[in-house]
Amino acid sequence: MKIRHSAIVCCAAVSCAAFAADVTHERLVNAAKESGNWMTYSGSYRSWRYSGLDQISRQNASRLKVEWVYQMPTTLMVETTPLVIDGIMYLSEPPSNVVAIDAATGRQFWRYRRELPKPINVCCGQVNRGVAVLGGRVFVGTVDAHLVALDAKTGSVLWDVEVADRKTGHSITVAPLAVKDMIVCGISGGEYGIRGFLDAYDAATGKRRWRFWTIPQPGEPGGDSWPGDTWKTGGAPTWVTGSFDVGQNLIIWGTGNPSPDWNGDSRQGNNLYSDSAIALDADTGKLKWYFQFVPHDVHDWDATQVPVLVDAEWGGQPRKLIYWAHRGGFYYVLDRENGKFLFGTPFAKQTWAKGLDAAGHPIRLPNIDPSPEGTYVWPGVQGATNWYSPSYNPITKLFYLSVWENRSVYRKGEQEYSPGNRYIGSVPLIDLPEDPGHGAIRALNPHTGERVWDYRLHTKPWAGVLSTGGKVVFGGSDEGHFFALDADTGKEVWRQNLGGIIRANPITYLVDGRQLVSIAAGSALFTFSLGR
Amino acid sequence: MHKIAITLWALSLAAQQDARNPRATPEDIAAGAKTFRSHCAPCHGLNAEGGRGPNLAGGRLYHGSTDEDLIRNISEGIPGTEMPGAFYMEDRVRQIIAYIRSLRATAPPTGDPTRGSALFESTGCVRCHLAGGRGGRLGPDLTQIGRLRSQQHLRQSILEPGALVSPRYRVVSFKNPSGKQIQGFIMNEDTYTVQVIDLDEQLHSYARAALRDYKVEEVSTMPPYKETLTAEQVNDLVAYLSGLRPE
Repeated sequence: MKIRHSAIVCCAAVSCAAFAADVTHERLVNAAKESGNWMTYSGSYRSWRYSGLDQISRQNASRLKVEWVYQMPTTLMVETTPLVIDGIMYLSEPPSNVVAIDAATGRQFWRYRRELPKPINVCCGQVNRGVAVLGGRVFVGTVDAHLVALDAKTGSVLWDVEVADRKTGHSITVAPLAVKDMIVCGISGGEYGIRGFLDAYDAATGKRRWRFWTIPQPGEPGGDSWPGDTWKTGGAPTWVTGSFDVGQNLIIWGTGNPSPDWNGDSRQGNNLYSDSAIALDADTGKLKWYFQFVPHDVHDWDATQVPVLVDAEWGGQPRKLIYWAHRGGFYYVLDRENGKFLFGTPFAKQTWAKGLDAAGHPIRLPNIDPSPEGTYVWPGVQGATNWYSPSYNPITKLFYLSVWENRSVYRKGEQEYSPGNRYIGSVPLIDLPEDPGHGAIRALNPHTGERVWDYRLHTKPWAGVLSTGGKVVFGGSDEGHFFALDADTGKEVWRQNLGGIIRANPITYLVDGRQLVSIAAGSALFTFSLGR
Repeated sequence: MHKIAITLWALSLAAQQDARNPRATPEDIAAGAKTFRSHCAPCHGLNAEGGRGPNLAGGRLYHGSTDEDLIRNISEGIPGTEMPGAFYMEDRVRQIIAYIRSLRATAPPTGDPTRGSALFESTGCVRCHLAGGRGGRLGPDLTQIGRLRSQQHLRQSILEPGALVSPRYRVVSFKNPSGKQIQGFIMNEDTYTVQVIDLDEQLHSYARAALRDYKVEEVSTMPPYKETLTAEQVNDLVAYLSGLRPE
């Protein structure tokens, strides 16, 4: 590790390009040891969104200053997590563009600009959450549902494959994950009645290695959880990057809502594997286990959160665990060897379940389903948390996340499926002007779910959190503030108004031996340091 | 008189219909109605009579009334208003348009807008509300209110202004860092600061931490006119406000 950091320190910005993105699977497996880089969407296969870097600490974070700003030529929402590898940043811009930037100066090496057909069917904005890098190539999913491999040194297209038909409501907004010699890529379209899946592609050729359908067809296990032909249009997309359990060779990924979202009449049953954690054999894509957070969801509470993989003692025994704060307002601990439920408790206000039973299934309260006249339920449609990343810090042993405390009016309407049209069942009142709720950055004890501290926000955050070896938690808000909190206490140690909505995840890395922190806000990427 | 007005209204509606809409069969209209009720009715009313969003059954569509205008407005939303895009394929949007065009026009306002305009001045509305480039700053700007709100909504706002107070017009009060009591409306706020217009129409921006006795009350500073105005006067005022829709 020291040798690699020395290489980075010695490399002038120009010469960095000489070994751009020489990323092997072994390097990705050991990404946590390369804290000078940020090599996958969540920083490592365990998805802690944690860095051991400690130059920026809670004691000196108040000195953070802007190092450089990169402006993106877009008016679309920026949800990207950049990757930084050996001094070069690979950044996706909405809708489906990619740029390579000198991480020391913010100056661009190349840009891939995708020409898009019309119309593009995305439920919630033409966004992109990031890229994957492997073997000198950069991989990006596009909103017209293609997966594209780019040369890491020039941005030239090496291959471009259609993952699914955009005209039937498929799109890609997820950051792919490089695993072994494959690129694992999810799909969006849960508001268009797609049949969800998770794919793996040969990184060299673009040929599909396997596809796991997140909705089984009749005759397959779980196929009886969908009546009639509803399995064909049942949703369960895979639009947030999952994790890779190296030891078990398991890809662990979250699935989204069943379609139509807010009217489940036509799809009576548990609707497997919607709203679930799924664990797939990385080589074959075969299902090893699943855990469904919300059987027969009618509130749009996707399980599209990042699975946080931690090895820790549980019940006095070393266990392979998953920490998962779900959109429906409950925090779970799962056994990742078999997907068994170990523990669960609310982490935010919820009014829909009395609790969880021994298997982790919700014990639903009466009168919580959407209705024609509208039903008030906590959490709201956007959930108690959502796609933005949580963080686990091995020093504080705390789990950090962005939380919403609000409710929505859930309405039920009629809807028939037609290809390429929205298939949602109604339009809920997502935000109530008279009762907008509030947000928070929250620290939980991951083994008890107890709240350790709260950093309250006036508005509800759409930004992920990053924690570091300097015991700092970085977070952002829709108000445009980027801030640093003491990881032990939640006390604010620094903040900066960036003047644009923050709906992205922060990262940290080293350039020339100095720790930098980057976050997208508005249509720009801001990078901070302690100065020279 | 009313019969003539309604006939003209209906003719105007018919003139706006685009005979080329390929999705205007009775089945299409029924499908459009179904989509409308589940996706548009929360704002525009179950029968498009208006509510938070404008009346669409009135025969007048103020952001463009050709099919192409409507496809754009429904698909992409209307900038500067609360109307979002609906993300439908064009055939589904055309069904919604066919449904909207099938609706019988609701009656135009029955009051006299000229008398309503005079009432707007004499009852003091103008002291707080801007209309036609003249008026106060403490109430909502009514310059284009006829485009944005239904007659029913306007009527209720006159008779019971406290029934629904938007967060922008809730009354905030606090002691500022100098100890002075401030009362007004929140124009913007975040976790750390608040921007206020006080009842003297002065702008202030404060750090929240510096304020004491901070309170927001869900009340309207507008008096109810239930007991003050006659039914005819309310009709006149509604007619005036409904006509505030500059091109």
